[in-house]
Amino acid sequence: MTSGRPNLFTTEAVVLRHSDLGEADRLLWLLTPQRGVIRATARGARKPGSKLGGHIDLLCYVKLSIREGRELHGISQADTIDAFRNVRTDLGRLSRGLNIGELAQRISVEDAPAPEVFRLLVNSLGWLATTENADTLVRWFALRLMTITGFKPELGACVDCGNELEPDDHVFSAERGGLLCPSCRSQGSDALHPASLGTIKVLRHLARSDFPAVESLNIGAEERRQIERILRSHTNSVIGRGVLSSAFLDEVRDWPEVGPVPGGIRAD
Amino acid sequence: MNSNSTPSAAPPVARLIEAFSRLPGVGPKSAQRLTYFMIRMPREEAEALAEALISVKDRIVLCSKCLNITEDPVCAVCSNERRDRTRICVVEEPLDVLALERTRAYEGLYHVLHGSISPVNGIGAEQLKIRELLDRLRDETVTELILATNPNLEGEATSMYLQRLISPLGIKVTRLARGLSSGADLEYADEMTLANALEGRAEVAVDKETSTE
Ligand SMILES: [Zn+2]
Ligand SMILES: [Zn+2]
Repeated sequence: MTSGRPNLFTTEAVVLRHSDLGEADRLLWLLTPQRGVIRATARGARKPGSKLGGHIDLLCYVKLSIREGRELHGISQADTIDAFRNVRTDLGRLSRGLNIGELAQRISVEDAPAPEVFRLLVNSLGWLATTENADTLVRWFALRLMTITGFKPELGACVDCGNELEPDDHVFSAERGGLLCPSCRSQGSDALHPASLGTIKVLRHLARSDFPAVESLNIGAEERRQIERILRSHTNSVIGRGVLSSAFLDEVRDWPEVGPVPGGIRAD
Repeated sequence: MNSNSTPSAAPPVARLIEAFSRLPGVGPKSAQRLTYFMIRMPREEAEALAEALISVKDRIVLCSKCLNITEDPVCAVCSNERRDRTRICVVEEPLDVLALERTRAYEGLYHVLHGSISPVNGIGAEQLKIRELLDRLRDETVTELILATNPNLEGEATSMYLQRLISPLGIKVTRLARGLSSGADLEYADEMTLANALEGRAEVAVDKETSTE
């Protein structure tokens, strides 16, 4: 069958999901540049003192030696390239890191090369470790991810009729995959999300720029809300169901680093 | 799925294989091995095993205070008058309580969360026994909460979450020191473990007598 394949290969990877396997093993979902998402087992990784264990935690950027298997690959060696320590020691950054990791994993196909998605994720986790605008990063990431994978929302012209959009407020349809002009918005019964002129400008800016260029962009509260709804409905319609880690992100988003818990501890 | 792994097994055999393969960490191969092992097992042993399984289901409950698994409404630790009631150690799973009890180094109480926050698997704080923990902190005379979740991203997330939730209540929140595991070579340690070990370093006592307890 595939006799040409070597049975040992090395690859860079980011650990995106794991589950326990057997007594002390772990099963990992890894994003790699050349093979997209692969699943591999890490023997003994849950035992203290395991040579693998500390390197293969979630969101670790690692270099791996992997034995090729028919169903599952096996990790024989792991070295950390970057554990993004600032991301994992801060609940706000961590919740966003898991969110972009989940997006990358859910949109990637098993065993299909994804060098651009991989690079995007690694760079974004690096930025996430230092940026003060983690929410902008998540939105920029989602838009860039959709663009790379061919699911870019139409932001220039009306997605239905192709007519150029007047510089004005419009609406966004996730089902149709873009902005709609006034005459097309009444066609169909899909959910429409408001997109003010300001929102549209920010979305276009995010879509064509690299993160450092938009990092300190000042986005108004109403624009933020609109962009959030537009991007979430768009990614959900591309991925097929809700992004699981978004709930946690929303829960910890507005928690201050110290001080009282907002809303107090629920007394009900 | 199961039909192709056990093409010719008799229905009762297939049923047992199927039941085993639903256990965590048991694949189709191991399920078959376990099943054929049990077919050769003496009847008394098989009955004892079945009885043990049923009694686990019938008799085991969660302790009404710490939520550890127990046969009684309140577990042996929680009902022990000599335990220090000012400390609660928070762990993810019942097995973690066993591990800590084996050290005989801890005299306080426990609280079992039954999992850790795992956003990627859709498991949030709501699915854990956090509300029960907050109730205990309100009712009881706890002054220190020791976070003993697993030293991985999800365990850390759970600890950070609890820390934020509980620090404002005026209860001291501590966590287990994380660092090198004894017996491991330094050269194999990953950067996270080394960084944590550095952070948690302790002064070497030069003059103190070594205690020989
Ligand atoms: Zn149109
Ligand atoms: Zn108890």
